[in-house]
Amino acid sequence: MSSSCPNRRSLLRALGLGAVGWGAGGGFLPGSGWGPFAAAHADGLRARHKACILLWMQGGPSQFETFSPLPEHSNGGGTAAIATAVPGIHFAEHWPEAAAVADRLAVIRSMTSKEGSHPRATHLLHTGYLPIPGVRHPTLGSIVASQLATVAPPDSNADLPPVVRIGARGRADSGAGILGMAWEPLEIRDPDQPPANTTALVPAARHERRLDLTARLEGGFADRLPQEAADHRALRERASRLIHSPAMEAFDLDGETDAARALYGEGDFASGCLLARRLIEHGVSFVEVVCDGWDTHADNADQTARLAGRVDRPFAALVRDLGDRGLLDDTLVIWMGEFGRTPQVNPRGGRDHFPRSFNAVLGGGGVRGGRVVGATDSRGVDILERPVTVPDLFSTFCHALGIDPSVETVAPSGRPVRLVDGGEPVRELFG
Amino acid sequence: MRVSAADSGLSARGGLVTAGILSLLLQILLQILLQLLILGFAPAPRGHGAEPPGAGGLTASPEPAPPAADDLFLRRIHLDLAGRQPTFAETEAFRADPSPGKRAAAVDRLLAAPAWSQTWARYFRDVILFRRTDPRAAFMQAPLETFLTAELAADASWGTIARDLITATGAPGEQGETAIIIAQMGETADIAAEVSRIFLGIQLQCAQCHDHFTDRWKREQFHELAAFFPRIAIRPTGGQGPDRFEVVSFDVQPRAVRGRKPPDNPRRGDLEHEMPDRDDPSLPGTVMAPRFFLTGQSLPLGTPDLQRRHAIAEWITSPDNPWFARAIVNRLWAELVGEGFYPAIDDLGPDRIPQEPERLADLAAGFAAHDSDLRWLFRAICISPEYGRGSRSRSSPARAGFAANCPQRLRADQLFTQLLDTLGVDEARAAQAAARRRGAAGPVPAPAEELMARYRLGTPRNLFGQVFGYDPSLPREEIVGSIPQTLVFMNGPQVAAALDGHRPGTLLGRLLRTESDDAAVTTALYYRALARAPSADELATCLTHVNSAGDREEGFEDVFWALINSVEFLHRP
Repeated sequence: MSSSCPNRRSLLRALGLGAVGWGAGGGFLPGSGWGPFAAAHADGLRARHKACILLWMQGGPSQFETFSPLPEHSNGGGTAAIATAVPGIHFAEHWPEAAAVADRLAVIRSMTSKEGSHPRATHLLHTGYLPIPGVRHPTLGSIVASQLATVAPPDSNADLPPVVRIGARGRADSGAGILGMAWEPLEIRDPDQPPANTTALVPAARHERRLDLTARLEGGFADRLPQEAADHRALRERASRLIHSPAMEAFDLDGETDAARALYGEGDFASGCLLARRLIEHGVSFVEVVCDGWDTHADNADQTARLAGRVDRPFAALVRDLGDRGLLDDTLVIWMGEFGRTPQVNPRGGRDHFPRSFNAVLGGGGVRGGRVVGATDSRGVDILERPVTVPDLFSTFCHALGIDPSVETVAPSGRPVRLVDGGEPVRELFG
Repeated sequence: MRVSAADSGLSARGGLVTAGILSLLLQILLQILLQLLILGFAPAPRGHGAEPPGAGGLTASPEPAPPAADDLFLRRIHLDLAGRQPTFAETEAFRADPSPGKRAAAVDRLLAAPAWSQTWARYFRDVILFRRTDPRAAFMQAPLETFLTAELAADASWGTIARDLITATGAPGEQGETAIIIAQMGETADIAAEVSRIFLGIQLQCAQCHDHFTDRWKREQFHELAAFFPRIAIRPTGGQGPDRFEVVSFDVQPRAVRGRKPPDNPRRGDLEHEMPDRDDPSLPGTVMAPRFFLTGQSLPLGTPDLQRRHAIAEWITSPDNPWFARAIVNRLWAELVGEGFYPAIDDLGPDRIPQEPERLADLAAGFAAHDSDLRWLFRAICISPEYGRGSRSRSSPARAGFAANCPQRLRADQLFTQLLDTLGVDEARAAQAAARRRGAAGPVPAPAEELMARYRLGTPRNLFGQVFGYDPSLPREEIVGSIPQTLVFMNGPQVAAALDGHRPGTLLGRLLRTESDDAAVTTALYYRALARAPSADELATCLTHVNSAGDREEGFEDVFWALINSVEFLHRP
């Protein structure tokens, strides 16, 4: 009637993206209970499932104190470089564990963007877009999960959410957006606790009687609001699975051996990485684990050493562990933040925001490890070789996961929005 | 591209470290609070009683639906105008009132009450802040709500409110009217797009990069509108929370500091707006003079900031500009009747065709003639036959002429109030209980506690809004529930505690002790949750369930649980 914009709902349906619930799961039939669906995470299903883990360094990690050390120049801030498992590749001194698995990691030293504000850059590196009022760009996790589901639908009995975000502390500013509620990340604030409000308060049988009673009492109203009633009923059923499904044991780190916990080390980030591995094993498509605190405007050297101490061991353990379990080839692991830090150390011993050149690390998902892409000049300021933009990076993620980056969704304004805004994959990372 | 400005006074960095630490503390605190989710309950007493069943709404028929039954109308009008359900006493009195003018009288009574100002202040707060591109603007919720509540209570016209929001300067914590600017953190193009969307219902932002595909707007027109706003600057003050910023005019170009090229920072402000070169954004853009795309009114380059903003505010809110009235009429009609004249709440414009154009034109003309008086507009809509009709599902095929009223999913504030009222929980006591639990969870740094209190962050209502809030400008069929929301209602410890029939302090516990007639208890719970009596079938279903449950308390807990977890509870009828 008014404009030529396609109906968004029908478009989403065409894309196979339901409005309610998680994944491509079919309806939850009355009375089917929560019985034998625990088979949803049967071992055979896991290995073939593509997945992605994002290790997000909130605040903007210094490239010089991580994977692009500059020991020969004063801009290097006095941080030493150490040899890695790959001759000729050096990491900053705080990353001995990652150095030991460098043969499975690829470092991009020529990331570049123009956005130097935390919220806007965080949005950019999470969605591939700068924020625009009224356009709800989906976050990488929702993109990946929704698109993987169109390639290989998860088991229709899958009880777990397809996207989990750990430790974002309410900072997360991007969600499923236009893709809809089905792909909304489930937020976990403390990886050592179950998700909020999922600890059963009444026995499963009574809970089911309550659901039945609700459905019967709702009957009259459901006649008047059939769609709303059906949607809400589906939500009650999906949410009930989070309370009573045996698959929820995936969230329980007590299921891990002491040896596994020791491998990952101590701390929230270590627990988050271990939980990420468990969730991927149980069929979750995308897990983000956040380490906050990289906004080192003062005392950069001490701060980054401390932060690396939190991240190095779990990062390396995750790569090893996924490899040992045969999951690394199908699981893309990403280490990145929203921008890098100024080459010059400021008078307070800090480094400020620097989107012009920074770094990111990829592993698994078909990425050939043991290599470095791109380079800056000797001062660490300008990119000399192979600049990689944010759309290039997102195209690279899509390439690794077998996702078509040109799929379009339509914003409520009628504006078509590509999953990834142009860009080319960094092909030298593959093959 | 931006005019270079190297004023270190406007540099963002200085205050960021301390502000960053504090904001981290707040994040941690919010995290703790969310863990303690969500409602601290301290029950308060309220009456109940038994009454015959009330009629519901009506559905599909080719004719317009007949007027809604009294109970349904009263629940609708209370949720819409007071943000809460009617009490049992109000429902009874309304039903007993034989006067033919009782519906209009109820509308007038509710429009005169303070709850109307607060309810709609919260609504417009969400209209503005759900489009924030900077998450830190969440701090603006309380200042903006305070500003809007005061304006609405003082009978400020929509024109006055628009002018205040467009021309705002000052400290965000004190001046809630800076909210649109803070929500976009001073970004010139985003402020222009939001002003046009909210006050004109015209979405120009597509034209930021290219001529609009479906509408007549040219790229130049967007950037000419943006040219009213480049001189807005957000200056760091060294304070905390919203106090760390101040909205000022940037009218004097400071001397560039030699050798320092500042990073691109939208907060700094520019003397003039430039339309970027489309082919190469790194090239200098075209300097644009301020010009209003609807009327052609313009200002010369060099005009000071406040002069620009006052001019565009006058031109937008002028009675001669029909889009100012149409945008708000369409928005409020869509909220209250359930579907708008235009398919989108905030995407109108001369290239879109409304349904019932004469009705729209009449209301818009009346609104303009009444000096954009919002209470006049609410009254006109709420006493209209369209508003008063029975309900139809949004998903059933629409028919011309607003044949029925479409039920609306409750906004977070309405739902929170209704949940507390249903469970007999007092909000102030719930907030105290939440604060006590917060204290018990560990020491809270005093400055953080003070900021949280001042900005009403971490209150049960605020936390509830974080889980249940939605952007009220989105098409309503896109607003679906979420699993975390559903978990709060089904399995949240605080809701469960308030439902406990064995505890003497809860509403249900008291009711079961004082009322031995199970039918009366059932009816009371229905009035509590849904502001109506149960039908005969519903009553029978409940009584059968209670009898088969074995334990009377448990049986009624299940009934109460079922009512608040029903789709009816979530909707304004």
